[in-house]
Amino acid sequence: MNLDELKKLKEKAQRQVALREGNKKYRVVFSMGTSGIAAGAREVMTSMLDELDKRGIENVEVAVTGEIGLVDAEPVIRIEEKSGEKVTYAKVNPEGARKIVAEHLQKGKVVDGLAVGKIKESEQKK
Amino acid sequence: MLEELSLHILDIGMNSLAAGAKNLEIIVIENTVRDWLIIRIRDDGRGMDENTLNQVLGQNLTSKKGRKKPIGLGLAFLRQTSEMCGGTFHVRSTPGRGTSVTASMRLSHIDRPPLGDLNSTIIALCANPDVGVQLHYRSNNETFHFSSKEGKSNEPRRTQETQGKGSTSSRAA
Repeated sequence: MNLDELKKLKEKAQRQVALREGNKKYRVVFSMGTSGIAAGAREVMTSMLDELDKRGIENVEVAVTGEIGLVDAEPVIRIEEKSGEKVTYAKVNPEGARKIVAEHLQKGKVVDGLAVGKIKESEQKK
Repeated sequence: MLEELSLHILDIGMNSLAAGAKNLEIIVIENTVRDWLIIRIRDDGRGMDENTLNQVLGQNLTSKKGRKKPIGLGLAFLRQTSEMCGGTFHVRSTPGRGTSVTASMRLSHIDRPPLGDLNSTIIALCANPDVGVQLHYRSNNETFHFSSKEGKSNEPRRTQETQGKGSTSSRAA
């Protein structure tokens, strides 16, 4: 382990602190159970944080959760919109995460190729 | 299997978050002279009783209700890795007080996975605003300390160090 690498942690963590405060337009939840981690969820999260930072997107809250039961579809991320709409993305790789930032979190367009489930507000109420 | 030790740390740390921990302490000690790598993950979550603890170590167990087939490989994975690399693995837990997981391995063992991207692990664990995450890293004579509460409240680190039990473990090195 390189100590110089670790020293960057403080700066990075401060950015992360800003990303975990609630009441934002989007909430991105990463499935970070054993299966998700083994499938590369951490790298997906790292690349998403990096892309959010690059693009200066601030209306996104980032959270983690344990196993969600979609073991064969990991890494899984769920994007919850303030309006109640939820989109689940499966088998996301780091490039996919960047695409989701560019399309979904910046322009509001769901990335069709990666999305597996979408719950609209109207369906949830039923 | 997890390819980096930092991924194991993330995995065990996620258990702590699931156990409702408010404080999570990660200690990594590398000692090239004695050829040891020690990883300790300590939390103040809800802990486990003796039965659960035995089950956790004996087989794969999950706390999820309604699941007939036990899953949950995190601790078993780490135990396998440390025993494979000439080390030991211990879990100590007190219900209501927390859990401490200690894994050691031979630093120079050919099968020892690299520590990997510890930064990303800590960042991921910091995603929960209710949990204070601390990292104590020591490599021979160099040390590094991190606390997720530091940036937020501007508390001097000294106070937190004396509060935590981190000092005991660094002395052990």
